Order: sequence, then structure tokens, then C-alpha cells
Amino acid sequence: MATASVQLEAAPFVRRRPPATVRRKRLLMAIGEHSLLIAAALIFLMPFVFIALTALMTHNQALSAQIWPHPFRWSNFVDVFRQAPLWRWFLNTLMYSGLATLGVLVSSVPVAYALARLRWRGREAAFLIVLIALMLPPQVSVVPLYVMWSKLHLVGTLWPLIIPNWLGDAFSIFLLRQFFLTIPEEYLDAARVDGCGEIRILTTVVLRLAKPAIAAVALFSALYTFNDYFLPLLYVGENSHNWVVAIGLSEFRSLHQVLWNTTMAATVLVMAPVIVIFFLAQKAFVEGVTLTGVKG
Amino acid sequence: MAQTPVIQAGASAPAFPALDRRRARRAAVWRRRRMVLLFMSPWIVGFSAFFGYPLVMSAYLSFTHYDLLSSPRWIGFANYRYLLTQDPLVWPAVKNTLWFIAVGVPLQVLFAFGIALMLTRAKWGLGFFRTVFYLPALAPPVAAVLGFVFLLNPATGPVNTILGKLGISGPLWFNDPAWSKPSLVILSIWTVGNTMIIFLAAVLDVPKHLYESAELDGAGPLRRLRWVTLPSVSPVILFSIILGVIQGLQYFTQALVASSVAAGSAVQGGDNPQTIGYPENSTLFYPVELYQEGFRFFHMGYASALAILLLVVSFAVTTIIVVNSRRWVHYGAAAR
Amino acid sequence: MKRVATVAAVLVALALAAGVAASTKHSPSGVEKAAGPNKLTVWVGWQARELNEFKSVVAEYDKAHPDVTVDVVGNINDDKITAAIRSGNAPDVVSSFTSANVGVYCGTGAWIDLAPFIAKSHINLSIFPKASLYYTQYKGKRCALPLLADVYGLYYNKTLFKKAGLTRPPKTFTELTAYAKKLTQRNPDGSLKVVGYDPVWTFYSGNAPDMSVYFPLFGAKYIDAKGDSILSKDPAWSRLLQWQKGLIDWYGYKNLVKFNTGAGQEFSASNAFETGKIAMLLDGEWRVAFIAAEHPELQYGTAPGPVDPAHPDLYGAGYINGTIIGIPKGGHNVDQAWDLVKYLTTNDHALAKFSNGIRNVPSTTSSSRSKELKPDAHFATFLRIFTNPHSGTTPITAAGNAYGTLISNFVNKWQAGHAKDLKSGLASLDKAIDDQLAQAEKGGGGPP
Repeated sequence: MATASVQLEAAPFVRRRPPATVRRKRLLMAIGEHSLLIAAALIFLMPFVFIALTALMTHNQALSAQIWPHPFRWSNFVDVFRQAPLWRWFLNTLMYSGLATLGVLVSSVPVAYALARLRWRGREAAFLIVLIALMLPPQVSVVPLYVMWSKLHLVGTLWPLIIPNWLGDAFSIFLLRQFFLTIPEEYLDAARVDGCGEIRILTTVVLRLAKPAIAAVALFSALYTFNDYFLPLLYVGENSHNWVVAIGLSEFRSLHQVLWNTTMAATVLVMAPVIVIFFLAQKAFVEGVTLTGVKG
Repeated sequence: MAQTPVIQAGASAPAFPALDRRRARRAAVWRRRRMVLLFMSPWIVGFSAFFGYPLVMSAYLSFTHYDLLSSPRWIGFANYRYLLTQDPLVWPAVKNTLWFIAVGVPLQVLFAFGIALMLTRAKWGLGFFRTVFYLPALAPPVAAVLGFVFLLNPATGPVNTILGKLGISGPLWFNDPAWSKPSLVILSIWTVGNTMIIFLAAVLDVPKHLYESAELDGAGPLRRLRWVTLPSVSPVILFSIILGVIQGLQYFTQALVASSVAAGSAVQGGDNPQTIGYPENSTLFYPVELYQEGFRFFHMGYASALAILLLVVSFAVTTIIVVNSRRWVHYGAAAR
Repeated sequence: MKRVATVAAVLVALALAAGVAASTKHSPSGVEKAAGPNKLTVWVGWQARELNEFKSVVAEYDKAHPDVTVDVVGNINDDKITAAIRSGNAPDVVSSFTSANVGVYCGTGAWIDLAPFIAKSHINLSIFPKASLYYTQYKGKRCALPLLADVYGLYYNKTLFKKAGLTRPPKTFTELTAYAKKLTQRNPDGSLKVVGYDPVWTFYSGNAPDMSVYFPLFGAKYIDAKGDSILSKDPAWSRLLQWQKGLIDWYGYKNLVKFNTGAGQEFSASNAFETGKIAMLLDGEWRVAFIAAEHPELQYGTAPGPVDPAHPDLYGAGYINGTIIGIPKGGHNVDQAWDLVKYLTTNDHALAKFSNGIRNVPSTTSSSRSKELKPDAHFATFLRIFTNPHSGTTPITAAGNAYGTLISNFVNKWQAGHAKDLKSGLASLDKAIDDQLAQAEKGGGGPP
């Protein structure tokens, strides 16, 4: 019933071959629909194209209304690294993203399992609390947390961003719990009969079965932390040493000598890793997104 | 599974096996409770530290004057009174956020659903099209906003250039208070990929036999859409609306970056502080105002009051939507 | 499966180790706090070329004091300063371009009181110009010292002037308007190609929306003797705003906004004045150094800003401000920090060298007479404006820069045509500023 992959090709059903006029009408409609799709796709692609084109322009051309670079200035991509410490920003982001994602996985899996497969009093109430935490705007908790971290002298570092992820993340818990609910009880009972403790059940049976959900959680967590702007702005905004890519890019234009062409080149460089990873892990991405919506 | 041990009043000294059984059961109960505690411990600590504590502390701080240089000073309801009656920026902020939700969320749901529908009719190149529509959602928000501010630059951006070639004098987009929020809505539609994919899966999941029976009853494509597709995907519609509203109430990054980049830096040494909400406070959203009060001016007591108001509104709006949804959402329509 | 798990565990351990190592290299607070008593961190607002000039001045101090190493961080703004001090991560020495905030810095104790240090080092405060002394203290509490001063004047493009048949810079705002109309060129589609004078508030530093650059040129006053805001009572402000709106309407507000979004960034080589897209510009004296470095071929002249035709005696005046430098609360090496601050602000050689480098006005009487100063005809104009008796600076208030934000909200609406009644608009602005000041006096501007 709950398959790990989602069929995306509509299965046709058998019919009698329709008359020629109807066939022609259907062909025209298909062409019409496809033209609409192509037009919409072009519009959606346009921003990427223009950003890339501007990234290849010279200083002065970027300030003019021309669209096609003349000449192509590939050195812009090198200039970006000379004008701003993009490498350090990427490294900081990698550290934040990597450690946070790891923490989310390590801490959310047991919680989700307890909420899905262990039976105990107050389980439903606990899940309700997870749901409420999901809807909580981060702005509500941000002031006291900032005060707390500043008293611990950790403001200016990335630790206030990383540490909370090691203590569970509401969204990941929710997603994993929904998925764990679909694991047939028979598997778990078989393991219990074999004498496995709950911990061993979790690590051997459940983890193996839940690979797509765990991959989805890892992917989403990595993506979310890579794109995060608000929390890094609060905590490392004042310390350019520890900036992540999102902050660095937003401040890029305030640096001297930086113009639209290098700004767009930096934008391309920031978008590139995510898009590349998407193409490598397309299946996992799409499945993951579907999991959130369909199980949600 | 475990039975609570029954203690009989006035029982004589129990036989060894019964006592062992009771002890064993109690031990099992405690072992399970310990197991649950162990598994739940990250969330228990995390919840208390990052959810429970901040909530209580925020409520407390909202009744104080606190600037981080000296300890909080109790001032009762003064923050709330200022918020509701005197602050010239709060009501523009509330209006901006509500406008963005009221206009943006329906449009996002519409486009996500519409594109998903179009994709289901695609016979060739489905994978390619799906990628194209999903890609913008992957772009880091800061990158996407920067790109859009450049694209919609009134003087040098490609959009106005192309419009100019068509003879239309393009608007000032992010530099015009009447167009800045619509520009942000357009950006949010461009990045609607996540919701679109969910709609796609949901539409493809609608059982074929429902369509067949509708067709047999003589329903044309539009009526099939209205009476079969829509009810079947109504849970996803509800999900996207709630998601959209929650995101709208927290809308921060794009508004802040767009306003500061569009305003340009007229002052040396980083961002010009007078660009928040540019132009003319049209992009001053509620979370941006909260950020400004709490983390630029360090009026932390007042910012906490703003946060509590946001919490109340988020809760109220989400509850209203969910309660209201019972009337039009059909669960279990698609056989899973 | 087990192998995968072990490999994963090893990777995790490595990542954690890398993370911990990386974060301890940049110490927990991020700011390189002194490992011992001899490392100082200085935060300044300058960037690129100007930052390098500052670093070379500091390098001389470094060489002369082998027991101290100074680390300079540029591109700092007041938001970062405030955040660092409030969260307990302040550097040892900090400098700011927004002297208006000194009211907050001194009033809240965020920057420490320098009076005991000044007394101990026997510094006579009369070596500093009166205006600079004013914007480095609040209600007698001195928490900053001036580090070179700024003054604003008129830059005009001689090539464009010659082409339009103009021979001398405008002396009044009526002349400025007439010149601006003559110098403006439009594209065939109606958009602006060359702008004679761009009066849009927030365009480049000269049009700072708190109207600071213009008030000496109209003889306007922000507050009266009691400290109340008099923007609606002093007729000079209405004259200023009417003049500005008149010129904007002639251009068309939307045309100007469009032109401004296509103009190069102010501190880049594509600056609209330096590339000949704007014929006249009110700007600070530092522009002389920028032009020399980026566009030495530009034929330009400098002059005092034009004045209100009703007060021709004001000609020669200009807006004065400057960089301020101080020691934030929570710093560790206060004595070392003071020694550096004293050097930077009072040492004639350091001030002359720095002034030559970034073309800012020397901030002590002795350094302004220093033989090391390299004379420059363009720059000399600004030195004269600086000493003009009608030149002045903006009021220092307990709310710091906050009144500027209130003013900018109003003038932005005014120039876009969204505020119809000037009189009532200025009156409500006055009331808002007064309310804000009242709140600030109680401790903290704005909300209670």
C-alpha cells in the first residue's frame, strides 16, 4: 500500500480506437497543452538564464540595459573569490549544515520511533506537542534564546545554530513518525521474539526499512540549514569570520567595488551546489517531498 | 500489556512464584518506561530548552524593559499599550503581512495546483518539465531574491528592457511601494516547486475508476475537475494553505534582503539602516519589524511583546483554518 | 551493514573534530580576543583602499610598539557594534561613521567614559575643533574622540559645464535649479541620460534623508534651546523641502528613481558623478581621494554648497561631521586600547598621514598645520568650509540616530508625492520626535 516510490507515469487504460476526427482533436489538444507547458517552462527558466548571462558581463555592461554579454567575462567567477572570502563562507556553511543534519538524524529517529512504535501513556499528547511545535514561528522563541546564548558567550559562533538540532527537530520527528507508522508490526514482533531489545530493533530492523524516509530527512535538513538566513543573521551577523553563505551573499553588494555582474556570479556559485546535488539525488528529493505532503 | 499488580488487602504471605511474577511485571514496566525515556530524551530536553523555556521567558520579558546592558525592569502592560496604541510601525507591519498572506497564499496554491495539472497531461518529457518547475524552489532564498531584484531593476533589468521593446513602460518593481509586495509575491510563485510536487503526486493518486464513472455519467473535463479531482486532493490543498499561511507569518529573509538591495547602499560600511521596509515601509513585514526592534534597537522587552502577539495570531489563524476545513476537505477519497 | 555503520561513525567523528577544531581556531566569541595583554582588535567602517590607508597608519604604531599587535577589521557598521557590545563580544577599540549615535553610546555606557584617561594623559581638549568636540560627547559625558573630520561641499563637472556654457559654480539654490535644468540630457525614450542635479533623498551620502547636508545651507535648526523639535516652526525647513520637491517634479519622480537604480554604487569606480552621469553633487571631502584613485582624468571643480537665496551670507558654510573612535564596555586591555586611541587621535604625524591617504579633514589644530600635509586645490575648498563659522553639525540626542529615521520616513513620503500637506506633516513629525526623545531620556528610545 504505502510504496517507497511514487509512480509518476499515468497508466493508460484500454479503449477502442476512436474515430479520426476525435484523434485529430486530441492531438491538437496535446500540442496545445504542451505549448502551454513549454511556455510556462521557459518563463520559469528565464530568471536562471538572465542571472547566468549577467554573471558573464563586464562591469559597465551590467549597468546597461543590454541582455547578451559582449564579451563573455568568465573571470568574474574568479573575481568573486578575490573580492570576498567565499571559500570560508562555504566551509562555515558546510560545518553548520553537516553537524546540524547529523544531529537531527541522531536525535529525531529515536523520538519518532518512540512516538510511533512504542506504546506508552501520554504518547498521543506528546505527538500533539510536536505538532504544536511545528507551527510555532521561530520569532517567538528567538529573543530569550538569544539572551541565553549571549550569557553563555556563544553569540558570534555557529554553536547556537547547531546545538538545538542535536535535541530533536519537530519536522523531522513528524515525518519519521508518519513513516514508522507504516512499518508492519510483524517485522518488529519477529525481532522481539528473537530476543532483540528495542534499541537493537531500532538500529537493525527499522533503520534498514526506513532508508527513504531517513534520506528525505537528511536531505531536507541539509537544504534547510544551507538556506537558513534568519538565525545565522542573528548569531554570526556581527562576526564576519563565521558568516555562512546566505549572509555573505546578502552582504556582498555592500562591499566596495562590487557590482551587479560579480554579485550575479556569486549568486550562481551559491545556487550551483544545491542544483548539482539535486541532479545527483533526484529520486530521493522527489520521494522526500512527496512523503511530506502525502503523509502529512 | 503489563497488568497493574493487584494488591489484596489482608493477604497472607504470598507464595514465591506469585511475588516473582509481580516483581517481574513491575520490573518490565520500569524497563519499558526507562526505554521510552531514553528514546524520548533528546526531544524532552530540546522541547524544554528551545520551546517551553523561550515561550515562558518571552511572556515574562514582554512585561519588562530589557536592553541586554542592564537587567530586565518590570513595566507591566506598558509594552502592549505602546504596541496597540502608539507604535507607528506596527500596524503597517501587520497590514503588510496580512496582505501578503491574503494575496500570496491563494496564488501559490493556484499555481502549484495548475502546474501540477498541466504536468499530468504531459505525454512527453515529464521528467524534464518537472525538473524545470522544481528547480527555483531549490535556489537558496537569498540567491533567488538577489537575482529577482536585479531582474526587476527598473533601469537595467532584463524584464523592463524586454517590456520596453514591447512598448510597455515597466513599473519600478522593488522601488515602488505599490509594486514591491507584488514583486515579492511573484518571487514566491516562482519558488512554488515543493508544493507543486506534492500536488502532482496527489493528482496522480486519484483512482482512475472515479474518473471513469464520472465520464460515464456524462461529465466533461471541467466537471470532472470540479467534482472528482478537487475533492480528492482537498487534503493537500488544506496542507498547502496551512503551510503557506505559516510561512507568510514568518516571512523575513526575502523582505529584508530585497529592501536593502533595492535601496542600494548610500552609506559606507555595510547596510544603510534606513533601508528596512524600503520603499516607504511597504516591505516592512511583521517578522522584520520584530527583528528591527529586538536586534537592531535591542528593545528586547518590546520585541517579546511583538512575539507574543505573533504567537497568538498564528495559533488563532491556524485553528480557524483547520476548523473551517472540515466543511470542504474529504479525507480517504483516494484509496491508499 | 556493520561496515557502513563503522565508516559512518568514523566520518561523524572526523566531522565533529573538524568542527571543534575550526571553531576554536576562531575563538568562541569569534572576535580574536587577546591571547595575552598585547593583542588589540580594532573595528572600523572603512573598506578597500581607505581601509588599507588606515592599516598602514596602524602598522607604524605596531612597529613602534613591538609588545602589541593590532588586528584591524573593516566594513563595520553601527548595527554590528551595538550587537557585539550587547552580546558581550566587544573588540578593544571601535570606530563609527554615525556620530549621531554617540548619544546612545555615551548615555548607556556602551562606550566607556574617556575623561579619566584624557586627564591622566594630560590632553588639552581645546586642540580639537568645537564641532568635533560636540559630536563626541553627550551631556558632558565624553565617550569618544574625533578621528579625522568630514565636511560636505559641491562637486561639479567642468566638462559638462563648458558644454552647457556655464563658467562658475552656482551660489544659490535658484541658480542650482537653473543650472540643473540646463545640464540635464534625456534619452529618446524620455528616460534620463545625464542628470544636472539629483535631489532624491537617500541618493548617495549627500542626500542623507535626515536632511543633515542641507541644513547649514538653509540656516535651519533642528531643535530649539529647550531641546524641542522645531522642523515645523523654523521656516527654513519648509523652504528646503519646497525647493527639493519643485526640482523633483520637474524631472518626474519616477524618472529619477529609475535613473538612480541604474546608477553605479556610490563607493565604486562606477560612481555616477565620477562617470559623468551627474553634473553636480553635494558630497564629502573624501570624494577627492576617490576621484584621484579611480578617475584622475575627470575635469571637476569643488566649491562650497549653494545656499538659500534669502540668506546669501551663509555661503561658504557646510555640514560637518566625522569619524568617532572609542573604547567599548567589556573590553579587556583598556590601557593598551587607550594608548592606541590616543596615538590615532592626537599624534600629528599619524593624523597627517591618514588625512593625506583618505583626504579627510585633520581633526586637531596642530595636525591641520602640519608640514606633512600634501596640499591639493580641490581639497583646500573643504578645509575652508570646515572653518567657516556658519558650518555646523546635527544635534546629539539620547535616542541617537533614531530621529533621523523618523525624518527619513516623512521626507521619503513627501518626495514621492504621498504626503500632501507639508505643514501638518512637519508638525506631526515634530511631535513624534519629541515623544521619542522623551522616551529616550527615561532610558531607551522608542518603546517603553
